[in-house]
Amino acid sequence: MPVDFTDSAGDAEYRARLRDFLRRHDHELEHSDSEYLSEPGVERIEELRRTQALLYDGGYVGVTWPREYGGQGEGAIRQAIVTEELARASIPGLVNHLGIGMCGPTIMAHGSEDQKQRYLRRLLRADDMWCQLFSEPGSGSDLAASRTKAVRQDDGTWRVDGQKVWTTFAQYAAYGILLARTDTDVPKHRGLTMFVIDMSTPGVTVRPLRQMNGASEFNEVFFDGVVISDAERLGEVGEGWRVALTTLMNERVAIGGAGNELGMRTDSLVARARERLPHFSTGEQVRLREQLGRVLVENLAIRYTGYRRLTALARGQTPGPEASAGKLSAVRAAIDGAELGVRLSGPDAAFARAADGDWRWHTTQASMPGLAIAGGTDEVLRNIIGERVLGLAPEPTPGKAAR
Amino acid sequence: MNFDLDDEQRALAAAGADFFADQAGPTAARQLLDGVGEPAPGRKALAEVGFSAITVPEAAGGGGGTVLDLAVVAEQAGRELAGPSLAGTARAVALLDADDAQLAVLASGTELFAVVDGPEEPVLDALAATRFLAVQDGHLVVGEGEVTAGVPIDATRGLGKVRLRDPRSLREIDPAAWRHARDVGAVVLAAEGLGTAAKAVEAAVEYARTRTAFDRTVGSYQAVKHALVDAWVGVDQLRSLVWWAAWTADREPDGLPAAASAVKAYSAAVVERATETALHVHGGIGFTWEHDSHLYWRRAKVDRLLLGDETEHLLRVADLALAT
Repeated sequence: MPVDFTDSAGDAEYRARLRDFLRRHDHELEHSDSEYLSEPGVERIEELRRTQALLYDGGYVGVTWPREYGGQGEGAIRQAIVTEELARASIPGLVNHLGIGMCGPTIMAHGSEDQKQRYLRRLLRADDMWCQLFSEPGSGSDLAASRTKAVRQDDGTWRVDGQKVWTTFAQYAAYGILLARTDTDVPKHRGLTMFVIDMSTPGVTVRPLRQMNGASEFNEVFFDGVVISDAERLGEVGEGWRVALTTLMNERVAIGGAGNELGMRTDSLVARARERLPHFSTGEQVRLREQLGRVLVENLAIRYTGYRRLTALARGQTPGPEASAGKLSAVRAAIDGAELGVRLSGPDAAFARAADGDWRWHTTQASMPGLAIAGGTDEVLRNIIGERVLGLAPEPTPGKAAR
Repeated sequence: MNFDLDDEQRALAAAGADFFADQAGPTAARQLLDGVGEPAPGRKALAEVGFSAITVPEAAGGGGGTVLDLAVVAEQAGRELAGPSLAGTARAVALLDADDAQLAVLASGTELFAVVDGPEEPVLDALAATRFLAVQDGHLVVGEGEVTAGVPIDATRGLGKVRLRDPRSLREIDPAAWRHARDVGAVVLAAEGLGTAAKAVEAAVEYARTRTAFDRTVGSYQAVKHALVDAWVGVDQLRSLVWWAAWTADREPDGLPAAASAVKAYSAAVVERATETALHVHGGIGFTWEHDSHLYWRRAKVDRLLLGDETEHLLRVADLALAT
C-alpha cells in the first residue's frame, strides 16, 4: 500500500461520528490548551475523570485494547484519529494516562486473567486511577537499583517496606504497579518482582510533593509493613525487571512516541502569536515569526515521525527503542514553544501571568524541566537510542552484571 | 492512513542505491573539487537510467512517477553526492508542465535544464546546463546562458551565475506556478540532503563503534554517543518530513507551500548538524582533504542556502500558519 495520509472510507466515517460525539457532548467535557496543563491552584481531577468516563462510554478510550477487557479492538490508526480529534476539540489528555499508557499494558502483558478482568475496564473508565511506583530516592534513572523490599511471609503473602518517589497521581490512585526487591543475593536486575498494590492498604502513606510549576502531581509514597496477596504479583518472582521494561517502553510511546504534542498545542501558540505580534516592533516581529516557524516545523517533524511509528504499530510491530526519540524531541519542541509563548507576552514575560491574565505560558515553561526528567531523562533516552538503535557500546559500569 | 514506502518504492530505492554507488560517490566529488572531471553520474547516465525523468509524464517519454518516487531516488543520489541534482530537473519538469516537446528533450538527456531566479542568484548545475529557464514579464522563458562560475565550496553542485541569452517565451506563467515548481525543487533538494546526512551519520557511527581511545570505543563515551544520537534523530525526522512533503506535492498541492518550506528549513539545520557531527566524531582524520567527511559537509554548507535559506522558509511556515 502506498503512502497515504487521507482517511479510508471507514476511517472517515469513524472520524465524522467522533466529531459529532464531541460536538454533542462539548458542554460536558473539560477543555485545555495542552494535554496535561492545569491552572495553578485549580484542581479538576474529578471533572477530568468524568470526561474520561464520558469518552469511554462513547467508545473512545482504549481504542486498541481487546474487547474482552473493555477496549474497542481497533487498530492504531483509529487511536491516532481519536488523539487528533480530541486535540482538535481542545480536550486534555486522559487523566488516567498512567493507567492507560503504562500500568494497563503491563497488566495486559504480564497479569493473570483474573487481574485483567478486575482492573482493565475500570482503569479505562477512570473509575480507578492508577500510578506507577518505580523511582526511589536513591534510584531515579537507575530503576533496577530499587531497594523497596517485598518479603515472602509464611502464609504466602508479601510484606512490603520502603519508599518510592516521583509517583505521579499517587494521591488519587486506587491502585499502582510496584517494583520491589525480592532477592538481595542476586545481581540487581534479577532480584526484582512486580506487584499490583491497592493504595488503600494499611501501611501505605502518600505525601504530595509541590513542584516548581506550583502543582502537586508527584508524590512520595511510603510502605510500612504493607501486605500484598501473591495473587497480585505481576509476572514471575525475579522477573520484575523484564516486566518493568514493558512498562517503560509503553511509557515512551505514551509520552511523545506517537507524535502527539507535549506542552502547549501549536494551534494555541499560533493564536497567541496572531493576537500578540502587532504589539511588537517590525524587527522583533521578524525574530518572533522565525521562532514560531521553528516551533511549527519541529512539531511537524515529530508528528510525521509519529505517523511512521503508528504505521508500524498498525502492522502489529511492537514499539522499539526508536520510540524514545519521540519523547526526546517532543520535550525539546515543547520547551521552544513555551519560550516563544512567554516572549509573546512582551514586557509581561517577566511575570507569571500576563496583564491579560494568561498563565499558560509561564506555567508550561515551569513544567518543562520536569518533563525532561520524568518518563526517562534526556540522557537515558539518548543512551537507549545510542546503544540499542545505533549499536554503540554502553559506558562501562563496574557494579552492573549483564542483563 | 499509511506512512511507509510500498514495495515498488523500496525496489526503486534499492536500484538507486546500486546505481549511484556505482556511478557517483565521494571519490568523484573530490576529483571534481580538484578540478578534474564532470559531475557524476552526469545528465546522460541519469537520463538513460530514467531517474531524471521520473516525474515526466509517460507521454513525453518519462516515468510518469510521483514526486515521492523521485524523493526516494534523490535520497540515494544524496548519499553518493551525485550530480547534476535531481532537484533542478524536478523543478524544470514542474515548470515545463504540459510542454511535451521540451519535456521529451529533458527526458532523453539531450539537454540539461537549469532554473534561474535572478542574475545574482547562484544557479544549481549552471555549469553543466545547456538550457536555462527563467520568468520574465509574466512569461516562462527558455534560452542559452552566459555562465560565470565561482570558486566552489561543493563542486558537485556546479553553481554559477547566469545571464540569459536570447530568451524566448514558452508560455505565460503565474507566480503561483513558479512558486510551485520552486517548492517541488526544494522538496527534492531536501531529499538529497537526507541521503547526504544519513550517509554521514552512518559513517560516523561505524567509526565510533570501532575506533578506540583510552581503551574504549569512542562511541561508548556519552559525549560522543549523545551527539550522534541527536544527529540520527534529526535525520530520522527529516525522512518523515521529506516523505510527507513529497506526498503533499503529489496529492495535496494546496498544502505544498507549508510542507516544502518546513522540509527545506528542517533539512538546512539537520544536514548541517549531521555532517558537522560526523566530521567531528572522526577526530583528526575527519578534517583532512583525503577523508570523505568534508565532502558531505560541503554539501550541507551549500545546499542550506539554495532555493531559500532556513530563515526564509521558517518565516514562510509561520506566515502561512498565521494567515489561516
